[in-house]
Amino acid sequence: MTQAEIKLCSLLLQEHFGEIVEKIGTHLIKTGSQPLRVIAKDTGMLLDQVKKALCVLIQHNLVTYQLQKRGIVEYEALCSRVLRILRYPRYIYTAKTLYSDMGELIVEELLLNGKMTMSAVVQKVADRLTETMEDGKTMDYAEVSNTFVRLADTHFIQRCPVAPEISKASAAPPPPAPTLAVNEKDMYLVPTLNLIGKGKRRRSFDDEEKSEHKAKRQKQDADSKEPPPDDGIYWQANIDRFHQYFRDQAIVSAVANRMDQTSSEIVRTMLRMSEITTSSNAPYTQPLSSNEIFRSLPAGYNIVKQILDQYLTLLADDPLEFVGKSGDSGGGMYVINLHKALASLATATLESIVQERFGSRCARIFRLVLRKKHLEQKQVEDFAMIPAKEAKDILYKMLSENFVSLQEIPKTPDHAPSRTFYLYTVNTLSSARMLLHRCYKSVANLIERRQYETKENKRLLEKSQRVEAILASMQATGAEEGQLQEIEEMITAPERQQLESLKRNVNKIDASENQVDETIFVLESYIESTMKKL
Amino acid sequence: MAGRGGRGRGRGQMTFSVEAVGIGKGELLPPSTLQPSPLFPPMEYKPVPLQTGEEVEYMLALKQELRGAMKSLPYYVKPAAPKKDVERYSDKYQTSGPIDNAIDWNPDWRRLPRELKIRVRKLRKERTTLLLPKHKQRLPVDKEEAIKKLETLEKKEEEVTSEEEGEKEEEEEGKEEEEEEYDEEEHEEETDYIMSYFDNGEEFGADSDDNMDEAIY
Repeated sequence: MTQAEIKLCSLLLQEHFGEIVEKIGTHLIKTGSQPLRVIAKDTGMLLDQVKKALCVLIQHNLVTYQLQKRGIVEYEALCSRVLRILRYPRYIYTAKTLYSDMGELIVEELLLNGKMTMSAVVQKVADRLTETMEDGKTMDYAEVSNTFVRLADTHFIQRCPVAPEISKASAAPPPPAPTLAVNEKDMYLVPTLNLIGKGKRRRSFDDEEKSEHKAKRQKQDADSKEPPPDDGIYWQANIDRFHQYFRDQAIVSAVANRMDQTSSEIVRTMLRMSEITTSSNAPYTQPLSSNEIFRSLPAGYNIVKQILDQYLTLLADDPLEFVGKSGDSGGGMYVINLHKALASLATATLESIVQERFGSRCARIFRLVLRKKHLEQKQVEDFAMIPAKEAKDILYKMLSENFVSLQEIPKTPDHAPSRTFYLYTVNTLSSARMLLHRCYKSVANLIERRQYETKENKRLLEKSQRVEAILASMQATGAEEGQLQEIEEMITAPERQQLESLKRNVNKIDASENQVDETIFVLESYIESTMKKL
Repeated sequence: MAGRGGRGRGRGQMTFSVEAVGIGKGELLPPSTLQPSPLFPPMEYKPVPLQTGEEVEYMLALKQELRGAMKSLPYYVKPAAPKKDVERYSDKYQTSGPIDNAIDWNPDWRRLPRELKIRVRKLRKERTTLLLPKHKQRLPVDKEEAIKKLETLEKKEEEVTSEEEGEKEEEEEGKEEEEEEYDEEEHEEETDYIMSYFDNGEEFGADSDDNMDEAIY
């Protein structure tokens, strides 16, 4: 774990879970697997606080535990999973685009709570939706369950590993830690629940309602003592599936930018067909025949078979090699080269970064070295058609920032410097890693700046919150215009301006964090795909 | 040692011929750095403006809402309230952070190692105008208690005003709660002092300016 990653993880944990959890989490990330007592001793915190923090972290899938010999349980933090917290808004927004508000709320509840049972999720989401509906209407559990089932069918949510059944009659004492088993078969199997009910509104202070429902409520409390029918079956959001979806989206939009809408639709169809058949780590999808693709095209697209074939040939011949031809049976077998596509996306990101940071001349040299793989100093000047001095300057600047590197090729076995070639080259993998590290640093800096800005204006923020609360309560009890204006004037005009500028800055910083996260995703996917291939 | 150039003769001698990398003879090199790079170096090229659009706005709102929501969930472990220098009497009536080491939510203990099990703090239901079942156990003094007391006092005030309107329900509820409160009050602390008689001395000296002719000893 690099320093930048650890810093970012600790900031994210602190923002979302508080300082105690942050200390424990950071300590675990830095030191690896540790048992409970050692954690408590090293961090200097009370045992109870460590226990609380570990419960929260395990609940949110950020820490796992393992039973070692002699009954010691060791806890290990998953640094990469902590970094995903930055991407939560993107997951929720994706669920919204695919499954509308219900899907959005289901995924949001699962992300906020780590793991939940289906009945709990359905109940909470129905309640939340009922709040937003007009008076008198409620959300039925059946609709929410349907959306839940659809999310499970497309693998966006999955079951958590199950704890073993503890039979009450066993004589042996239960093990200190349960071993959770991953059940591959049932991972997306939704239990058949008979969830009948409607969402409940949060009770307003109505006396008559109270006396009527008093009796009912007591009965309901008694009911909730029994375990729900799907007790022990917990669900969590399937982060990998979301990543797969983002990757597909990126590929489709890249094809749309490079060629046209129709070709991007063809690629999207191919990707959709391979969703379930190809694992997310495969370098290319399963081969699909041109006939299959033709059959699976979306209904609105009326292109003739020959046109489809022409498009496929065009895509396969494209130098970017997103689509490849793997055979001739069935009208032509085509695959999507996932690894190559990710590599192209990462390279494009690199080029764009060089251009924005150093200028277009620098970008030209960078692209040149990228295409030609290895070039000597003299060759760079010739091919790029840039004067020698400037080319030298640019190359050294990029060398010092580690975008390009030098490769020695000795002519003689004694590696004499005067008889060695020195070639400039771009190593995409290491440049990607370097940039990723920089991205983590940027996000950490952004978060710190945002916290600093908020802290500076804490007094003003608290005052404005108080004023709002007073205004709200006065409006609820019905106050005149004059009184309301008086309260509003408690915040002076320059203070209002200060608040405005604070809000603007915080919004800008938050938007930047989201945008940097997109770059992080592209670079991380590329690095992961390359490492799996090696 | 013989291979090393004389002190100061020629620019730094390196193990490889610098011509190959492109530094010509006698060419000026940029000065060597003597200090760490500045904290906010001036940028030659300004960054591209941020993306805008509905999608971006929505995700921004989601992000901020998520942050706020997480702070209010029980998973956000607030640090224990710092101990003040001297225990004050008013501590009982002022709201302070969670002091004990209980957990606020109910995890599934079957999925966690046994050593992590802690007491689950039973969250008292939010106080509404409902009649709570009487409980005579000793309860830790919580902020819910203080809120309850305030509501009783409110109820008493309402009682006085609503008597003219003749709403029996509220009165009865109020009276019952009063009695309940009374019972609890007597049971909860071991003091002989009735809470409503507690005077924290703020009004002392407020009306001492009224009668100045009487001498004060």
